[in-house]
Amino acid sequence: MFAIVDGPIDVGALIAGAQRPDCGAIATFVGTTRVDDSEGASVEHLEYEAYRPMADRKLEEIGAEIMERWDVRHISIVHRLGRVDPGETSVAIVVASERRGPAFEASRHAIERIKEVVPIWKREVWSDGYVWVGSQVGTREPATGSH
Amino acid sequence: MIKVLFFGAAADRAGTREAELEVEDGMTLAEIWPLLVERHPDLAPMRDTLAFAVNDEYARANAVVSAGDEVAVLPPVSGG
Repeated sequence: MFAIVDGPIDVGALIAGAQRPDCGAIATFVGTTRVDDSEGASVEHLEYEAYRPMADRKLEEIGAEIMERWDVRHISIVHRLGRVDPGETSVAIVVASERRGPAFEASRHAIERIKEVVPIWKREVWSDGYVWVGSQVGTREPATGSH
Repeated sequence: MIKVLFFGAAADRAGTREAELEVEDGMTLAEIWPLLVERHPDLAPMRDTLAFAVNDEYARANAVVSAGDEVAVLPPVSGG
């Protein structure tokens, strides 16, 4: 299942949906909003936007890539848009396979590819302005943290 | 006429999320870029960081654009 959603992601439901009798492993990656601090200011929340339907299609392409490369039996990728508060989930990837190796590798591949090719952008909204991650364009001095 | 969509930092710099642009037949993305910059000068410094899509798929600078196409201006993606 590949989806881009506007509200909270139910990670538990995604994991439950991946449980199947022919698989002994489910790997889950969950990306959450981290509060960075810099020179007395801090991140208050993140805001995501996407180019749709291209972003939806790119998620499906990543799924197809994974199915071709690894013996996995189930993949879900869900990405959230809009405001995501500290600690909340912005992206969840759930992969099931017969044994653990492919599930671990495929879930790692999925998040790396999302960060390379899926047209989704995030803006860090700080206490003193905002910045588009990756472009360093915004209303505050560029953040120095890693992403 | 083509439709141009701006996202993320590019929308900030362009001051809009969407524009329409008159293009000549056979123009490439590389040839359209100066027209966009003329209208939205603050985009200019972003050039080397940008990718483009034509009708929902990544396209190179030498891709030809035709009337009715949708061109998207895509800053470095930062999902996840």
